[in-house]
This record gives sequence, C-alpha cells and structure tokens, in this order.
Amino acid sequence: MSVPGTEIRQGIAKAMEFRETLLSSIRTLRSHKMRSLLTMLGIVIGTGSLVSVMSLIAGLNSSVSAQFQSVGTDIISVSRYPWVQMGNSDEFRDRKHITLEDAAAVGRLRSVGLVAANIHTRRHLAYDGRVMKYTLVTGSTAEYEIIDNYLVEEGRFITDLDVERRRQSVVIGADVAGELFPVRDPLGKDVRVGGRRFTVVGVLKSKGDIFGESLDDLVIIPITTFQKAYGSRRSVVIDCSPAEGVSVERTMDDIRQVMRARRRVPRGEPDDFAINTQEDLMSAYNSLTGVLYFAMTGIVGLALLVGGIGVMNVMLVSVAERTREIGVRKAIGARRGDITAQFLIESIILTGIGGAMGIAGGVGIALLVKAVTPLPAEVTVGAVALAAAFAGITGVAFGVYPAHRAGKLRPIEALRYE
Amino acid sequence: MLIELRDMFKTYEVGTQQVHALRDISFSIEEGEYVAIMGPSGSGKSTLMNIVGCLDTPTEGSYLLKGTEVAALDDDELAEIRSAEIGFVFQTFNLLPRMTAFQNVELPLIYGRAARQTRAERVWETMDAVGLGERAHHRPNELSGGQRQRVAIARALINRPSIILADEPTGNLDSVTGEEIMQIFRGLSDAGNTIILVTHEQYIAEHASRIVKLLDGRIASDTMT
Ligand SMILES: Nc1ncnc2c1ncn2[C@@H]1O[C@H](COP(=O)(O)OP(=O)(O)OP(=O)(O)O)[C@@H](O)[C@H]1O
Ligand SMILES: [Mg+2]
Repeated sequence: MSVPGTEIRQGIAKAMEFRETLLSSIRTLRSHKMRSLLTMLGIVIGTGSLVSVMSLIAGLNSSVSAQFQSVGTDIISVSRYPWVQMGNSDEFRDRKHITLEDAAAVGRLRSVGLVAANIHTRRHLAYDGRVMKYTLVTGSTAEYEIIDNYLVEEGRFITDLDVERRRQSVVIGADVAGELFPVRDPLGKDVRVGGRRFTVVGVLKSKGDIFGESLDDLVIIPITTFQKAYGSRRSVVIDCSPAEGVSVERTMDDIRQVMRARRRVPRGEPDDFAINTQEDLMSAYNSLTGVLYFAMTGIVGLALLVGGIGVMNVMLVSVAERTREIGVRKAIGARRGDITAQFLIESIILTGIGGAMGIAGGVGIALLVKAVTPLPAEVTVGAVALAAAFAGITGVAFGVYPAHRAGKLRPIEALRYE
Repeated sequence: MLIELRDMFKTYEVGTQQVHALRDISFSIEEGEYVAIMGPSGSGKSTLMNIVGCLDTPTEGSYLLKGTEVAALDDDELAEIRSAEIGFVFQTFNLLPRMTAFQNVELPLIYGRAARQTRAERVWETMDAVGLGERAHHRPNELSGGQRQRVAIARALINRPSIILADEPTGNLDSVTGEEIMQIFRGLSDAGNTIILVTHEQYIAEHASRIVKLLDGRIASDTMT
C-alpha cells in the first residue's frame, strides 16, 4: 500500500477548493437565470458561428483538395470561357469559336506535351427502358484519359482507332454505369446517347463530387463521332500538359502567342480566349474561403466583444449586489485572491456555459448543412477547441476587472453597504 | 498580552469635516478575559471592534496583537490574521443566504486552507457545541433568529480563534433567546476563550468580567465586575 504524497494531497485539496467555488458560482448563476442567459447570447453566437464556419471550411477544404488531385495538377485548358468568371459573362458569348485546327496548332508547339481537344454537350441516355436526362457528353481523344486524369475501372478508354474510324464507342462514368446497368455488366451493351446507338467499351472509376455536383455523371465518345452525330459548329476546349522539363508558365506563354496569332488579336488588345490552370481554381477557392474567414472573424469578434461587455456588466452588477457578502467573506478570512478567483471563475463559467451552448449549436448547424445541402462540413476538434478557448478567454478578459474590483473592496465598507 | 492598544486614534474624513471616532485609546486585554464594551450610540464601539478585529486599521497609534504590529500590515496579511485569530459575531448575523448552515460554518475553514477530509468533522463538532446538529442542511431563511445567531457563533468558532468579537449579538433577538445566546458565550468564556462583546444592556454586560465604557470616542471607565 502506498500513501499518496503530500503534493498530491495538497493538489486534491486545491481541486476541492476549486469545486467549492465552482458550486457556489453555479448557485449564483442559477438564481439569475434570465439575466445570465441574455448575457450568454453574444458568446453563444460568437462560438456558434466560429464552429459552424470552420466546420464548413474544413469540409470544403478536404473535398476540394481531393478533387484538385483527381483533376491532374499540371493541366492547361484553353477555352472561350475562363473557369473562374468575374462579372458579366455576356462578353464571352460573342467570342470566336476555338477550332480543332487551333488544337492541332497548339499540339505542334514544342513546349506542349500531350493535347486533347474536347467538345461537350448534354443529351439524354437510354438503355433497356432506363433513361438519364441531360447527361454530359464529351467528345475527345485517347490523350484525354491521361491529361484529365481519368481512370478506367473496367474495359478501356477511347483509342486512336475509335477516333480514326469514328466508331460508335462510349466510355461511361460511374453514375451512368450505376443508373443504367444496376445488375448487368455494361461492357459490350448498346446504349442510346441522344438517340444514337453507342457500344459501351469502358467504365470509369468514380471521381466523387465537388460542391455537391457529381463528376461521374458523364459519357465520353470519340471526338470525330461527336462531330458527326451532334454537329461540328461548337467551340472546342484544348486540354494539354507541358512537355517534359518545361514549366507551366513557359508553355502558357507559347500557347498564348499561337492563339493570339491564329485568332488575329491586335497587339495591345486583351486575349479573346482563356488559358486556365489549376492555380486559377485554387486562387478562386482561396479567395472564397478568405472571404468566409474574414466574415467569420468579424462576426465572432463582434459577438464575443458584445458578449464580453455583457459579461462584464453582469459581473459588475453581481459584485455590487453582493458587496455585503464580500464583506462577510473577508471578515471570516477570505483573502483578496479568494474573492477575485471566485468572481473570475463565475465569469468563466458564464462564458463557458455560453460557449458550450454555442459549440453545440455550431455543430448542429454544420451537421444540418451537411444533411440538407450539397455542401460538405467536417466538425474538427480544432474548431471546437478554438471556440472553447475563445469563450474562456472572453470570460477571463472581461471578468478580470469586476473580479479585481470585488477583490479589493475594503471589508468594513463592504460590510456597511446596504 | 493578547491585545495592546496604545495612543490609538481613528479619524474619518467626511467631506472637509473630520470625525474623530476614537481618540487616544490605550488599553490591553489578556488571554481568557471576557470584556463588555458599552457606551451611547456613536461613541465608537463598533469602530473599536473593527480595529481589534483587523477589519480596519488605526489612523494613528499602535495596535499589537500577540506582539505583532497590526497597523503596519497589508490587506492579505490582515486577512490571514482574521482567518487564524479572529471570530466575528454580528448583530445582523450576516450569514450567506444561498448556503446551508453547514456550508456557512465550513467557509472559514476553506479560507483557512483546512484539508477537506478534516473539515466535515470539525463542522459537525462545532455545530453540536452550539446545539444546532439537526439544522445543518437548512438555509438561513429557514432558521429562527436564535438559530441563525448560533450558526454565526459556530462559524466564528470553527477556526479556533484567539479572540471572539461580538457586536451586539443579542440586539436583534428577544430577551429569552438573547439569554440563551449569552449562555453560549458564558460556556465559551469558561472554556478559556477571549471574548469582547459590545452591548447597550447593563444586564448583558454583567455576564462579562470587565466593562469598558466609551464616551465620544474616549474610554470613560474600565472596571472589573
Ligand atoms: N465610515 C465612516 N465614515 C464616517 N464616519 C464614520 C464611519 N464609521 C463610523 N463613523 C462615525 O464614527 C462614530 C462612531 O461610530 P460607531 O459605529 O463606532 O459607533 P457605535 O458606538 O458603534 O454606535 P452604535 O451603538 O449606534 O452602533 C460615529 O460618529 C460615526 O458617525
Ligand atoms: Mg455599533
């Protein structure tokens, strides 16, 4: 049998003292329920928005970074429309189409590695009585698989021969496979794409979804077949990757020059096409989360400030109301620090309860958003800890002054107080 | 000598006016004495008690408690002395309303940093000594005046102080209850405690072995009974 050391016993005694203070604080707060609740509102809003926004951003971050990896990091995509549009998009509509010849010219650049021209439309799909409406139909070439980072789950991708012979071959996304072929193996089956018959040659691995939109709801067919079936008067997107050992920037410069020349853009005029990279998406995303963080910081800061001032007010009132009690406590041996600690703990408990309510609310909002909207949300330990810390810090910061006032009250004056 | 006051003054500043609550007070009290302080209203009795009880410090002069100069101590040092050496009993009881009798009595032990394990036992012992055993878990508003004053006495005794100070402890009680409270003080005095008690009533003062009379902040008489 070991006897606990004196430090441990002193520690326990300290903890017990703290427990005493805690219980007496809770007693006081319970006797002023309404006032305490109102005071806590600011803290609840502050910590609640902190947790919900941080959970939302954490959810977006993890889904977006997974997505960016799946798209392929070095991709350069030339199109009429920029990926990230600011302001009026009407100006893009009048731009000249990008053609297959443009794609071929880009492909001839030495700084360019692989090139895959691609065209898009939306068509209904049908198989054996099952129908999918407005599915993305992409016409492209074999290189598209590598540049756009598609993985084949079963069968094969579009090949050069498919393109050359304008075959009615189709590679289907995971959603399409699930929807049209719930039980049967899709390979070799004939499906209708916009009324025309295609034979399934491959099924793609799932890419998941981004901002709630599935990346697997698509079919890919040879670009030549696409033009024959759905017409060739459509602007082309040129996806390419830099040649081995060439930087993305260098390749982009070369592409820009070629495209400007082919489209006869006068010197000094801005580009009438867009060269998109991952970085554009990344920076757009970062500025979005930046705005969210900024707004959150503002709301949280303001709410905690308002809550903190409320806490200070309640604590000052509490000190005034209990002046006589403070006098009595001092008369029977309380030190300045005992009284200060008591009121400080009360203030922390006040904000702590508010913080707990706010965290619960914030987690609730995050889970609700996740359940009813396509936006992802991930409640992190970090967000909860930060909110708890902020609540505690607010309690200390705004409780210090009232607690200090209580502590330094002179016992006789406090005892005389009516 | 337990208490030694020498040439002690207490002056209050009220606006531009000076109120001399105590003037040129010199007297001493030995351990085990039972002293009653009397005098008309405003003569300085409470002021004197507050200084002796280390709730306040003199404006001028010296106060030695067990040989320590109290006038020179700071807030926390005074608190330590109140915790270890002084037990207060007030006319208006001054119990904490949200706490039970037990918790009220226990509080000085917590401020005196007594270990929790020993606290409960001490509280029961002390409450039994003032005849309050079965009322321990009642709140003050569920107790009679006499019972409240017993709780207050138990609270004053719990740290085994060197001095018990009672400022008109029977002032808010009827004469029968007051007499019961005085019997408790008698018992405490017989057990060797030092007691200083303020009263307006001659028959209360006669319980003490020494009567000090104040008039206008000065000692008018100091007699043994
Ligand atoms: N804080 C203070 N500020 C100003 N004057 C004070 C203060 N405390 C006491 N006094 C004055 O000091 C004098 C003595 O007051 P004290 O309370 O000691 O009288 P007391 O003898 O206890 O009277 P009572 O019998 O009415 O309780 C009074 O004139 C009072 O007005
Ligand atoms: Mg008085």
